[in-house]
Amino acid sequence: MAASMKCAWARCLSTILLNSTKHRCQISQPLYASCSNITGDSGNDEIIFRKAEGEGGTDQTRQEAGPADDTKKHRRDPGKAFTDVRVQKILLRLTGLDLDKVYEYRAAKGAGVAKVALMSDQQLKKVYESASYKALRKLQMPPVLGAREPIDEVLSEDPELEGLNTSKLVFIDISQRVPLKKRTIVVREPNGTLRKASWEERDVTLQKYFPQSGRKIGLPRMFQQDNLECMLDDGKHEYILNRACSQFEIDDPEYIRVTQRTYEHIDGNGKFEDLRSTRHFGPMIFYFTYYKKIDKLLVAFLEEESLEDSLDLVKLYHIVHPSCKSAEKVASMPDATPLEIIRAFAEMDATQKSLVQQAIQTYEKECDSTGSTQLRR
Amino acid sequence: MALAIRFALFGCTNRPFFHIVVMEKRRAQRSGKIKEMIGSYDPMPNQDNQKLVAVDFQKLQQWLGFGAVPTKHVAELLGLGGFYPIHPMSYIKAKRKRTLMEKQVADMQAKEETQETAAIQVNEDTQPDSTEDASQ
Repeated sequence: MAASMKCAWARCLSTILLNSTKHRCQISQPLYASCSNITGDSGNDEIIFRKAEGEGGTDQTRQEAGPADDTKKHRRDPGKAFTDVRVQKILLRLTGLDLDKVYEYRAAKGAGVAKVALMSDQQLKKVYESASYKALRKLQMPPVLGAREPIDEVLSEDPELEGLNTSKLVFIDISQRVPLKKRTIVVREPNGTLRKASWEERDVTLQKYFPQSGRKIGLPRMFQQDNLECMLDDGKHEYILNRACSQFEIDDPEYIRVTQRTYEHIDGNGKFEDLRSTRHFGPMIFYFTYYKKIDKLLVAFLEEESLEDSLDLVKLYHIVHPSCKSAEKVASMPDATPLEIIRAFAEMDATQKSLVQQAIQTYEKECDSTGSTQLRR
Repeated sequence: MALAIRFALFGCTNRPFFHIVVMEKRRAQRSGKIKEMIGSYDPMPNQDNQKLVAVDFQKLQQWLGFGAVPTKHVAELLGLGGFYPIHPMSYIKAKRKRTLMEKQVADMQAKEETQETAAIQVNEDTQPDSTEDASQ
Protein backbone atom coordinates (compact mmCIF):
# COMPACT_ATOMS: atom_id res chain seq x y z
CA MET A 1 0.00 0.00 0.00
CA ALA A 2 1.36 3.45 -0.82
CA ALA A 3 2.79 5.27 2.14
CA SER A 4 0.36 8.16 1.91
CA MET A 5 -2.62 5.80 1.79
CA LYS A 6 -1.20 3.98 4.79
CA CYS A 7 -0.86 7.25 6.70
CA ALA A 8 -4.41 8.23 5.82
CA TRP A 9 -5.75 4.96 7.11
CA ALA A 10 -3.59 5.13 10.21
CA ARG A 11 -5.07 8.51 10.93
CA CYS A 12 -8.54 7.16 10.23
CA LEU A 13 -7.88 4.29 12.59
CA SER A 14 -6.72 6.44 15.43
CA THR A 15 -9.67 8.78 14.98
CA ILE A 16 -12.02 5.84 15.07
CA LEU A 17 -10.44 4.46 18.19
CA LEU A 18 -10.15 7.69 20.08
CA ASN A 19 -13.41 9.35 19.27
CA SER A 20 -15.87 6.67 18.46
CA THR A 21 -18.22 5.61 21.20
CA LYS A 22 -20.84 4.05 18.98
CA HIS A 23 -18.57 1.87 16.90
CA ARG A 24 -16.26 0.85 19.69
CA CYS A 25 -14.16 -2.21 19.01
CA GLN A 26 -16.10 -4.73 21.09
CA ILE A 27 -13.69 -7.19 22.57
CA SER A 28 -15.15 -10.53 23.53
CA GLN A 29 -15.20 -10.83 27.29
CA PRO A 30 -13.82 -14.32 27.82
CA LEU A 31 -10.82 -13.74 25.61
CA TYR A 32 -9.90 -10.45 27.15
CA ALA A 33 -10.65 -11.23 30.73
CA SER A 34 -7.27 -9.94 31.79
CA CYS A 35 -7.28 -6.95 29.47
CA SER A 36 -9.65 -4.95 31.60
CA ASN A 37 -8.29 -1.55 30.65
CA ILE A 38 -8.68 -1.87 26.89
CA THR A 39 -12.08 -0.29 26.48
CA GLY A 40 -11.07 2.38 24.04
CA ASP A 41 -12.94 4.87 26.16
CA SER A 42 -10.18 7.43 26.24
CA GLY A 43 -11.87 10.24 24.40
CA ASN A 44 -8.70 12.27 24.67
CA ASP A 45 -5.09 11.53 24.03
CA GLU A 46 -4.08 11.50 27.68
CA ILE A 47 -1.58 8.83 28.43
CA ILE A 48 -2.48 6.71 31.41
CA PHE A 49 0.80 6.04 33.14
CA ARG A 50 0.84 2.74 34.97
CA LYS A 51 3.46 3.41 37.54
CA ALA A 52 3.95 0.83 40.26
CA GLU A 53 2.59 -2.25 38.47
CA GLY A 54 4.11 -1.67 35.06
CA GLU A 55 7.56 -0.74 36.26
CA GLY A 56 7.73 -3.43 38.89
CA GLY A 57 6.69 -6.11 36.45
CA THR A 58 8.98 -5.08 33.68
CA ASP A 59 11.98 -4.38 35.91
CA GLN A 60 11.99 -8.05 36.77
CA THR A 61 12.14 -8.95 33.14
CA ARG A 62 15.32 -7.01 32.57
CA GLN A 63 17.52 -9.48 34.33
CA GLU A 64 15.71 -12.49 33.01
CA ALA A 65 15.54 -11.86 29.28
CA GLY A 66 16.74 -14.87 27.39
CA PRO A 67 15.88 -17.49 24.78
CA ALA A 68 12.22 -18.02 24.14
CA ASP A 69 12.27 -21.75 24.74
CA ASP A 70 13.28 -21.49 28.38
CA THR A 71 10.17 -22.66 30.20
CA LYS A 72 10.95 -20.63 33.30
CA LYS A 73 10.48 -17.43 31.32
CA HIS A 74 6.96 -18.46 30.44
CA ARG A 75 6.00 -18.25 34.06
CA ARG A 76 6.17 -14.46 34.07
CA ASP A 77 3.17 -12.50 32.98
CA PRO A 78 3.63 -10.28 29.90
CA GLY A 79 -0.11 -9.73 30.08
CA LYS A 80 0.26 -6.71 32.32
CA ALA A 81 2.55 -4.94 29.90
CA PHE A 82 0.48 -6.03 26.89
CA THR A 83 -2.76 -4.62 28.26
CA ASP A 84 -1.28 -1.17 28.85
CA VAL A 85 -3.30 1.35 26.83
CA ARG A 86 -0.21 3.03 25.40
CA VAL A 87 1.18 -0.31 24.26
CA GLN A 88 -2.11 -1.21 22.62
CA LYS A 89 -2.27 2.09 20.75
CA ILE A 90 1.22 1.71 19.36
CA LEU A 91 0.65 -1.91 18.36
CA LEU A 92 -2.56 -0.98 16.57
CA ARG A 93 -0.82 1.84 14.75
CA LEU A 94 2.02 -0.43 13.69
CA THR A 95 -0.39 -3.13 12.50
CA GLY A 96 -1.97 -0.76 10.06
CA LEU A 97 -5.13 -1.41 8.10
CA ASP A 98 -4.74 -2.76 4.61
CA LEU A 99 -8.33 -3.43 3.59
CA ASP A 100 -7.23 -5.49 0.61
CA LYS A 101 -5.29 -7.82 2.87
CA VAL A 102 -7.85 -7.97 5.64
CA TYR A 103 -10.64 -8.81 3.20
CA GLU A 104 -8.52 -11.12 1.10
CA TYR A 105 -10.42 -14.12 -0.18
CA ARG A 106 -9.71 -17.19 1.90
CA ALA A 107 -10.79 -20.64 0.80
CA ALA A 108 -12.74 -21.56 3.91
CA LYS A 109 -16.22 -22.62 4.96
CA GLY A 110 -18.59 -19.71 4.90
CA ALA A 111 -16.35 -17.62 2.67
CA GLY A 112 -18.70 -15.61 0.50
CA VAL A 113 -18.42 -14.60 -3.11
CA ALA A 114 -17.49 -10.95 -3.56
CA LYS A 115 -20.33 -8.69 -4.60
CA VAL A 116 -19.95 -6.12 -7.33
CA ALA A 117 -22.08 -3.01 -7.00
CA LEU A 118 -22.43 0.32 -8.72
CA MET A 119 -22.32 3.21 -6.25
CA SER A 120 -21.93 6.93 -5.94
CA ASP A 121 -18.89 8.46 -4.26
CA GLN A 122 -20.86 9.09 -1.11
CA GLN A 123 -22.08 5.52 -0.92
CA LEU A 124 -18.56 4.27 -1.56
CA LYS A 125 -17.23 6.39 1.27
CA LYS A 126 -19.87 4.96 3.64
CA VAL A 127 -19.03 1.42 2.61
CA TYR A 128 -15.32 2.08 3.17
CA GLU A 129 -16.05 3.42 6.64
CA SER A 130 -18.20 0.48 7.67
CA ALA A 131 -15.63 -1.90 6.21
CA SER A 132 -12.93 -0.22 8.30
CA TYR A 133 -15.00 -0.56 11.48
CA LYS A 134 -15.57 -4.24 10.74
CA ALA A 135 -11.93 -4.71 9.88
CA LEU A 136 -11.02 -3.53 13.38
CA ARG A 137 -12.80 -6.59 14.72
CA LYS A 138 -10.74 -8.78 12.44
CA LEU A 139 -7.61 -7.09 13.71
CA GLN A 140 -8.33 -7.80 17.39
CA MET A 141 -5.06 -9.02 18.80
CA PRO A 142 -4.98 -12.30 20.74
CA PRO A 143 -3.45 -11.22 24.04
CA VAL A 144 0.08 -12.18 24.96
CA LEU A 145 -0.07 -13.77 28.39
CA GLY A 146 2.21 -15.79 30.57
CA ALA A 147 1.73 -19.56 30.73
CA ARG A 148 -1.09 -20.65 33.01
CA GLU A 149 -0.25 -22.04 36.41
CA PRO A 150 -0.91 -25.77 36.69
CA ILE A 151 -4.03 -26.84 38.61
CA ASP A 152 -3.04 -28.84 41.64
CA GLU A 153 -6.01 -29.01 43.97
CA VAL A 154 -7.01 -32.15 45.83
CA LEU A 155 -10.59 -32.08 47.10
CA SER A 156 -10.62 -35.30 49.07
CA GLU A 157 -8.42 -38.29 49.90
CA ASP A 158 -10.22 -41.62 50.30
CA PRO A 159 -7.68 -44.43 50.38
CA GLU A 160 -10.45 -46.85 51.37
CA LEU A 161 -11.77 -46.66 47.83
CA GLU A 162 -8.63 -48.26 46.48
CA GLY A 163 -9.50 -51.22 44.28
CA LEU A 164 -12.99 -50.06 43.38
CA ASN A 165 -12.01 -48.85 39.90
CA THR A 166 -9.02 -49.49 37.74
CA SER A 167 -9.78 -46.40 35.66
CA LYS A 168 -10.28 -42.74 36.48
CA LEU A 169 -13.76 -41.28 36.77
CA VAL A 170 -14.03 -37.84 35.19
CA PHE A 171 -17.02 -35.76 36.27
CA ILE A 172 -18.05 -32.68 34.34
CA ASP A 173 -20.80 -30.26 35.18
CA ILE A 174 -22.99 -29.70 32.13
CA SER A 175 -25.27 -27.08 33.66
CA GLN A 176 -26.50 -24.46 31.26
CA ARG A 177 -24.98 -21.04 30.81
CA VAL A 178 -21.78 -21.56 32.71
CA PRO A 179 -18.65 -20.05 31.10
CA LEU A 180 -16.23 -22.69 29.91
CA LYS A 181 -13.47 -21.56 32.23
CA LYS A 182 -15.73 -21.86 35.26
CA ARG A 183 -17.06 -25.34 34.52
CA THR A 184 -16.28 -27.77 37.31
CA ILE A 185 -14.36 -30.82 36.16
CA VAL A 186 -13.11 -33.25 38.79
CA VAL A 187 -11.36 -36.60 38.59
CA ARG A 188 -11.63 -39.55 40.98
CA GLU A 189 -8.42 -41.51 40.74
CA PRO A 190 -8.23 -45.30 41.20
CA ASN A 191 -6.47 -44.74 44.52
CA GLY A 192 -9.49 -42.83 45.80
CA THR A 193 -8.22 -39.24 45.50
CA LEU A 194 -10.74 -36.71 44.27
CA ARG A 195 -8.93 -33.83 42.58
CA LYS A 196 -9.63 -31.02 40.13
CA ALA A 197 -8.85 -31.88 36.54
CA SER A 198 -5.58 -30.57 35.11
CA TRP A 199 -5.59 -28.00 32.31
CA GLU A 200 -4.93 -30.66 29.66
CA GLU A 201 -7.76 -32.85 30.97
CA ARG A 202 -10.03 -29.81 31.08
CA ASP A 203 -9.30 -28.81 27.49
CA VAL A 204 -9.94 -32.31 26.17
CA THR A 205 -13.11 -32.90 28.21
CA LEU A 206 -14.58 -29.49 27.39
CA GLN A 207 -13.92 -30.08 23.73
CA LYS A 208 -15.81 -33.38 23.96
CA TYR A 209 -18.89 -31.94 25.66
CA PHE A 210 -18.81 -28.37 24.37
CA PRO A 211 -17.03 -28.60 21.06
CA GLN A 212 -15.63 -25.41 19.63
CA SER A 213 -15.27 -25.24 15.89
CA GLY A 214 -11.73 -25.37 14.62
CA ARG A 215 -10.47 -27.31 17.62
CA LYS A 216 -9.29 -30.87 17.72
CA ILE A 217 -9.17 -33.10 20.76
CA GLY A 218 -5.51 -33.50 21.61
CA LEU A 219 -2.57 -31.88 19.88
CA PRO A 220 -2.93 -31.64 16.07
CA ARG A 221 0.05 -33.21 14.33
CA MET A 222 0.78 -29.91 12.66
CA PHE A 223 1.98 -28.50 15.97
CA GLN A 224 4.44 -31.27 16.71
CA GLN A 225 7.95 -29.91 16.51
CA ASP A 226 9.08 -31.52 13.24
CA ASN A 227 5.88 -30.80 11.37
CA LEU A 228 5.86 -27.25 12.67
CA GLU A 229 9.33 -26.70 11.26
CA CYS A 230 8.18 -27.98 7.85
CA MET A 231 5.25 -25.59 7.87
CA LEU A 232 7.45 -22.69 8.89
CA ASP A 233 9.94 -23.42 6.14
CA ASP A 234 7.03 -23.38 3.70
CA GLY A 235 6.28 -19.88 4.90
CA LYS A 236 2.83 -20.57 6.36
CA HIS A 237 3.25 -18.26 9.34
CA GLU A 238 -0.17 -16.66 9.28
CA TYR A 239 -1.92 -20.00 8.88
CA ILE A 240 -0.02 -21.50 11.81
CA LEU A 241 -0.81 -18.55 14.05
CA ASN A 242 -4.48 -18.54 13.07
CA ARG A 243 -4.81 -22.22 13.71
CA ALA A 244 -2.94 -21.97 17.01
CA CYS A 245 -5.35 -19.23 18.05
CA SER A 246 -8.37 -21.41 17.32
CA GLN A 247 -6.90 -24.61 18.75
CA PHE A 248 -5.39 -23.44 22.03
CA GLU A 249 -6.25 -21.14 24.86
CA ILE A 250 -3.97 -18.11 24.78
CA ASP A 251 -2.33 -18.94 28.10
CA ASP A 252 -1.73 -22.57 27.08
CA PRO A 253 2.01 -23.37 27.18
CA GLU A 254 1.56 -25.08 23.79
CA TYR A 255 0.15 -21.89 22.27
CA ILE A 256 3.06 -19.91 23.64
CA ARG A 257 5.55 -22.45 22.31
CA VAL A 258 4.03 -22.47 18.81
CA THR A 259 3.63 -18.71 18.52
CA GLN A 260 7.07 -17.94 19.89
CA ARG A 261 8.70 -20.44 17.55
CA THR A 262 6.83 -18.84 14.64
CA TYR A 263 7.97 -15.36 15.64
CA GLU A 264 11.55 -16.55 15.97
CA HIS A 265 11.40 -18.10 12.52
CA ILE A 266 10.04 -14.87 11.07
CA ASP A 267 12.83 -12.98 12.81
CA GLY A 268 15.40 -15.37 11.39
CA ASN A 269 14.12 -14.86 7.84
CA GLY A 270 13.15 -11.21 8.15
CA LYS A 271 9.62 -11.85 6.90
CA PHE A 272 7.91 -9.37 9.18
CA GLU A 273 5.71 -7.94 6.45
CA ASP A 274 3.89 -11.26 6.06
CA LEU A 275 1.98 -10.47 9.23
CA ARG A 276 1.48 -6.76 8.60
CA SER A 277 -2.22 -5.81 8.83
CA THR A 278 -3.14 -9.12 10.44
CA ARG A 279 -4.12 -9.61 14.03
CA HIS A 280 -0.82 -11.33 14.80
CA PHE A 281 1.42 -8.40 13.98
CA GLY A 282 0.83 -6.68 17.31
CA PRO A 283 1.53 -9.74 19.46
CA MET A 284 4.65 -10.44 17.41
CA ILE A 285 6.00 -6.93 17.88
CA PHE A 286 5.17 -7.15 21.55
CA TYR A 287 6.97 -10.48 21.88
CA PHE A 288 10.15 -9.05 20.40
CA THR A 289 9.91 -5.93 22.51
CA TYR A 290 9.23 -7.81 25.73
CA TYR A 291 12.14 -10.18 25.23
CA LYS A 292 14.43 -7.42 23.91
CA LYS A 293 14.90 -8.69 20.37
CA ILE A 294 13.75 -5.75 18.30
CA ASP A 295 16.99 -5.12 16.40
CA LYS A 296 16.15 -6.95 13.18
CA LEU A 297 12.66 -5.54 13.28
CA LEU A 298 13.98 -2.01 13.68
CA VAL A 299 16.37 -2.54 10.81
CA ALA A 300 13.50 -3.81 8.65
CA PHE A 301 11.44 -0.71 9.41
CA LEU A 302 14.38 1.56 8.65
CA GLU A 303 15.05 -0.23 5.38
CA GLU A 304 11.43 0.41 4.45
CA GLU A 305 12.15 4.08 5.25
CA SER A 306 9.22 4.36 7.60
CA LEU A 307 10.52 6.55 10.35
CA GLU A 308 7.21 6.62 12.21
CA ASP A 309 7.20 2.82 12.56
CA SER A 310 10.78 2.82 13.82
CA LEU A 311 10.01 5.56 16.29
CA ASP A 312 6.88 3.73 17.45
CA LEU A 313 8.93 0.61 18.03
CA VAL A 314 11.53 2.39 20.12
CA LYS A 315 8.80 4.19 22.07
CA LEU A 316 7.15 0.84 22.71
CA TYR A 317 10.46 -0.50 23.97
CA HIS A 318 10.71 2.41 26.37
CA ILE A 319 7.18 1.82 27.67
CA VAL A 320 7.71 -1.89 28.21
CA HIS A 321 11.19 -1.42 29.72
CA PRO A 322 10.97 2.00 31.35
CA SER A 323 14.19 1.60 33.32
CA CYS A 324 16.40 0.88 30.33
CA LYS A 325 19.26 3.28 29.64
CA SER A 326 17.97 4.85 26.44
CA ALA A 327 14.56 5.49 28.02
CA GLU A 328 16.21 7.49 30.79
CA LYS A 329 18.30 9.39 28.29
CA VAL A 330 15.32 10.19 26.08
CA ALA A 331 13.34 11.31 29.12
CA SER A 332 16.08 13.86 29.73
CA MET A 333 15.90 15.13 26.10
CA PRO A 334 12.34 16.42 25.68
CA ASP A 335 12.98 17.95 22.25
CA ALA A 336 14.70 14.99 20.67
CA THR A 337 14.01 14.32 17.02
CA PRO A 338 12.85 10.84 16.02
CA LEU A 339 16.25 9.93 14.62
CA GLU A 340 17.96 11.02 17.83
CA ILE A 341 15.66 8.79 19.86
CA ILE A 342 16.36 5.82 17.60
CA ARG A 343 20.09 6.56 17.69
CA ALA A 344 20.01 6.67 21.49
CA PHE A 345 18.37 3.27 21.54
CA ALA A 346 20.92 1.90 19.07
CA GLU A 347 23.84 3.16 21.17
CA MET A 348 22.60 2.01 24.53
CA ASP A 349 20.15 -0.86 24.32
CA ALA A 350 20.50 -2.57 20.97
CA THR A 351 21.91 -6.08 21.17
CA GLN A 352 23.13 -5.94 17.57
CA LYS A 353 24.47 -2.43 17.77
CA SER A 354 26.42 -2.27 14.53
CA LEU A 355 23.52 -3.62 12.48
CA VAL A 356 21.13 -1.01 13.77
CA GLN A 357 23.59 1.86 13.48
CA GLN A 358 24.37 0.88 9.92
CA ALA A 359 20.66 0.82 9.11
CA ILE A 360 20.29 4.31 10.60
CA GLN A 361 23.17 5.58 8.49
CA THR A 362 21.69 4.06 5.34
CA TYR A 363 18.35 5.64 6.13
CA GLU A 364 19.94 9.04 6.64
CA LYS A 365 21.73 8.82 3.32
CA GLU A 366 18.50 7.85 1.56
CA CYS A 367 16.65 10.69 3.16
CA ASP A 368 19.36 13.19 2.40
CA SER A 369 19.11 12.23 -1.23
CA THR A 370 15.31 12.63 -1.16
CA GLY A 371 15.65 15.78 0.89
CA SER A 372 13.55 15.02 3.96
CA THR A 373 14.30 13.80 7.47
CA GLN A 374 11.06 15.03 8.94
CA LEU A 375 8.59 12.67 10.48
CA ARG A 376 6.03 12.03 7.80
CA ARG A 377 2.53 12.15 9.24
CA MET B 1 -45.41 -41.71 41.84
CA ALA B 2 -41.85 -42.75 42.57
CA LEU B 3 -39.84 -40.18 40.75
CA ALA B 4 -36.28 -41.35 40.46
CA ILE B 5 -32.96 -40.15 39.19
CA ARG B 6 -31.68 -43.29 37.60
CA PHE B 7 -29.67 -44.80 34.83
CA ALA B 8 -31.30 -45.58 31.52
CA LEU B 9 -29.26 -48.12 29.58
CA PHE B 10 -28.69 -47.21 25.96
CA GLY B 11 -25.86 -48.19 23.66
CA CYS B 12 -25.87 -51.61 22.01
CA THR B 13 -24.65 -55.15 22.46
CA ASN B 14 -21.36 -55.29 24.33
CA ARG B 15 -21.33 -51.52 24.43
CA PRO B 16 -23.32 -50.14 27.36
CA PHE B 17 -23.93 -46.41 27.76
CA PHE B 18 -26.06 -44.90 30.48
CA HIS B 19 -28.14 -41.76 30.39
CA ILE B 20 -28.81 -40.28 33.80
CA VAL B 21 -32.49 -39.48 33.64
CA VAL B 22 -35.43 -38.39 35.72
CA MET B 23 -38.29 -40.83 35.36
CA GLU B 24 -40.51 -43.16 37.32
CA LYS B 25 -38.50 -45.76 39.12
CA ARG B 26 -40.32 -48.85 37.94
CA ARG B 27 -40.79 -47.94 34.31
CA ALA B 28 -38.95 -49.54 31.43
CA GLN B 29 -36.05 -47.30 30.54
CA ARG B 30 -36.67 -47.28 26.80
CA SER B 31 -40.41 -46.76 27.07
CA GLY B 32 -40.03 -43.17 26.01
CA LYS B 33 -41.44 -41.86 29.31
CA ILE B 34 -38.30 -40.07 30.42
CA LYS B 35 -39.12 -36.78 32.06
CA GLU B 36 -35.70 -35.27 31.54
CA MET B 37 -32.19 -36.35 30.77
CA ILE B 38 -29.72 -34.74 33.11
CA GLY B 39 -26.50 -36.50 32.30
CA SER B 40 -24.61 -39.48 31.02
CA TYR B 41 -22.21 -42.13 32.26
CA ASP B 42 -19.92 -44.13 30.02
CA PRO B 43 -18.87 -47.30 31.86
CA MET B 44 -16.26 -48.25 29.25
CA PRO B 45 -12.91 -46.56 29.80
CA ASN B 46 -11.52 -44.49 26.91
CA GLN B 47 -8.00 -44.24 25.53
CA ASP B 48 -6.85 -42.23 28.53
CA ASN B 49 -8.34 -44.83 30.88
CA GLN B 50 -11.14 -42.47 31.89
CA LYS B 51 -14.81 -43.16 32.45
CA LEU B 52 -16.71 -40.00 31.58
CA VAL B 53 -19.60 -38.81 33.69
CA ALA B 54 -21.53 -35.68 32.78
CA VAL B 55 -24.20 -34.33 35.11
CA ASP B 56 -26.29 -31.18 34.90
CA PHE B 57 -26.00 -30.39 38.59
CA GLN B 58 -28.40 -27.45 38.45
CA LYS B 59 -31.13 -29.64 37.04
CA LEU B 60 -30.23 -32.42 39.44
CA GLN B 61 -30.71 -30.12 42.40
CA GLN B 62 -34.00 -28.86 40.97
CA TRP B 63 -35.36 -32.37 40.61
CA LEU B 64 -34.10 -33.37 44.04
CA GLY B 65 -35.99 -30.40 45.36
CA PHE B 66 -39.03 -31.62 43.50
CA GLY B 67 -38.81 -34.95 45.29
CA ALA B 68 -36.91 -37.19 42.91
CA VAL B 69 -34.76 -39.83 44.61
CA PRO B 70 -31.53 -41.15 43.13
CA THR B 71 -31.23 -44.89 42.84
CA LYS B 72 -28.47 -46.81 44.61
CA HIS B 73 -26.07 -46.79 41.71
CA VAL B 74 -26.65 -43.17 40.79
CA ALA B 75 -26.10 -42.23 44.42
CA GLU B 76 -22.87 -44.22 44.41
CA LEU B 77 -21.67 -42.43 41.30
CA LEU B 78 -22.56 -39.02 42.68
CA GLY B 79 -20.73 -39.94 45.86
CA LEU B 80 -17.62 -40.72 43.88
CA GLY B 81 -18.01 -37.39 42.12
CA GLY B 82 -18.15 -35.47 45.37
CA PHE B 83 -21.79 -34.33 45.15
CA TYR B 84 -22.88 -36.75 47.86
CA PRO B 85 -20.80 -38.32 50.61
CA ILE B 86 -19.29 -41.59 49.51
CA HIS B 87 -21.88 -44.36 49.50
CA PRO B 88 -21.26 -47.20 51.95
CA MET B 89 -21.57 -49.68 49.11
CA SER B 90 -18.57 -48.05 47.44
CA TYR B 91 -16.46 -48.81 50.49
CA ILE B 92 -17.85 -52.32 50.70
CA LYS B 93 -17.27 -53.05 47.03
CA ALA B 94 -13.77 -51.66 47.22
CA LYS B 95 -13.01 -53.80 50.25
CA ARG B 96 -14.43 -56.90 48.56
CA LYS B 97 -12.34 -56.29 45.46
CA ARG B 98 -9.22 -55.72 47.50
CA THR B 99 -9.80 -58.92 49.44
CA LEU B 100 -10.35 -60.80 46.21
CA MET B 101 -7.18 -59.35 44.72
CA GLU B 102 -5.16 -60.23 47.77
CA LYS B 103 -6.57 -63.75 47.75
CA GLN B 104 -5.71 -64.10 44.08
CA VAL B 105 -2.19 -62.82 44.68
CA ALA B 106 -1.79 -65.18 47.63
CA ASP B 107 -3.08 -68.08 45.54
CA MET B 108 -0.67 -67.22 42.75
CA GLN B 109 2.24 -67.07 45.15
CA ALA B 110 1.25 -70.35 46.75
CA LYS B 111 0.98 -71.92 43.33
CA GLU B 112 4.43 -70.63 42.34
CA GLU B 113 5.96 -71.92 45.54
CA THR B 114 4.49 -75.39 45.09
CA GLN B 115 5.77 -75.36 41.51
CA GLU B 116 9.24 -74.39 42.68
CA THR B 117 9.36 -77.05 45.37
CA ALA B 118 8.07 -79.62 42.88
CA ALA B 119 10.83 -78.61 40.44
CA ILE B 120 13.50 -78.90 43.15
CA GLN B 121 12.13 -82.32 44.13
CA VAL B 122 12.34 -83.49 40.52
CA ASN B 123 15.94 -82.31 40.28
CA GLU B 124 16.92 -84.10 43.47
CA ASP B 125 15.29 -87.34 42.34
CA THR B 126 17.00 -87.40 38.93
CA GLN B 127 20.50 -86.46 40.19
CA PRO B 128 22.52 -89.07 42.20
CA ASP B 129 23.09 -88.27 45.85
CA SER B 130 26.56 -86.67 46.22
CA THR B 131 27.22 -88.06 49.75
CA GLU B 132 26.55 -91.60 48.62
CA ASP B 133 29.02 -91.16 45.75
CA ALA B 134 31.73 -89.73 47.98
CA SER B 135 31.45 -92.55 50.48
CA GLN B 136 31.70 -95.17 47.70
